[in-house]
Amino acid sequence: MANKKTGILILFLSLIIAFLAGREFLNQRKLEPIVKGEGVTEIQKLSDYLPALKGTRGDSDIYVFRGEEGGSALILGGTHPNEPSSLMSAVIMIENLKVFKGTIYIIPRANASAFTHNDPQEGSPQKFHIKTDFGERWFRYGSRATNPLDQWPDPDIYIHAASGQKLSGNETRNLNRAYPGRVDGTFTEKVAYAIVELIKKNDINMTIDLHEASPEYPVINAIVAHENAMPISSQVVMNMEFDDIQIGLEPSPVSLRGLTHRELGDYTNTYAVLMETANAAQGRLRGKTDENLVLTGIDPTYVKAQKIGRLFVPYDDNGHPLEERVGRHLSGIVQHIVVMGENEIDKEIIFEGIPTYSELLENGLGKYLKEIK
Amino acid sequence: MMYIYLVILFYILCTVILNLLDEKSLLKQLNAALVIIPLLLRVLLIK
Repeated sequence: MANKKTGILILFLSLIIAFLAGREFLNQRKLEPIVKGEGVTEIQKLSDYLPALKGTRGDSDIYVFRGEEGGSALILGGTHPNEPSSLMSAVIMIENLKVFKGTIYIIPRANASAFTHNDPQEGSPQKFHIKTDFGERWFRYGSRATNPLDQWPDPDIYIHAASGQKLSGNETRNLNRAYPGRVDGTFTEKVAYAIVELIKKNDINMTIDLHEASPEYPVINAIVAHENAMPISSQVVMNMEFDDIQIGLEPSPVSLRGLTHRELGDYTNTYAVLMETANAAQGRLRGKTDENLVLTGIDPTYVKAQKIGRLFVPYDDNGHPLEERVGRHLSGIVQHIVVMGENEIDKEIIFEGIPTYSELLENGLGKYLKEIK
Repeated sequence: MMYIYLVILFYILCTVILNLLDEKSLLKQLNAALVIIPLLLRVLLIK
């Protein structure tokens, strides 16, 4: 029954499907627009600190907010693009922040390559939408790791260059296992190296890396601090508790290498801190994975898991909406910068424009997103 | 490394297409068509 004619017809059919699928995949490489806020004084690139990144998907924008002479802080969003409160916290800051004294650097997409794809077999949405007064804005939901098109193949075992620590091979594309990076290393190590160079060349006083974790992961709704940053972070925890935001504090493990809170603290003068919120969309126990889960965190399986004591965060029918997770991050950022300035006056940064936790819960994220013109 | 990967992929893609055209069973032609889609996307470096 089959012959060359049916073969050509079927081949043509598969070309059409490949075209449609290819178009969908290529769309994933389009990055969401971010409005340059009034307070942005300069936009740098990671390639300014490592020219080898120029023209690659590892090159990423660094938004600079420079006031009078004072302290400095770096905010890392998008280290793992499947942890959306990280990107959104950076975007809300970029579009609303004003700095009068000191300098704040914000990288919304620390691993820009990881935004250009998402994880196979996870069923994650490619993007999510947020309603604003001007219509909808869209944002990318990416992968935990660098796109394999930029770094391939993965070794069976990833050996962290600075320590010799052995990890699973796929961690070789995880930016938060690549620090302090290498100038002649893998693609991901080069991105890490550029971020370390940014910190060293600008003598950045504090670096805050924003993350999310699945609700069944023990380090969640928490701050992980390098020992140098611990005095600041412990004050931050108390201040946040006063504001009714429950948050844990974990010391950066000395033996877990390649992470920002360990390597940036060891290799630079910065106070290195990492913050985690609860994202059901990346959890193992989750049900249907769609935009709604990303935005609301509402998932009956997690409510059940909470009831039988399997989670490390409170979980009820209200889930953990994105505005709550962004509010936690922004509150933590504000507190860290303020406490650093109170403790060391030469590192003071004076700023305004970041919405508070309660404002975000009341008004939602859309209220603080600007119109794209 | 990337070029070796592409050469291998392109070779496999060509053999699958030739196989599809020569195949006498419709089911096997459809099977080959399914295999062609990811191979083609990989040759074009689309993930």
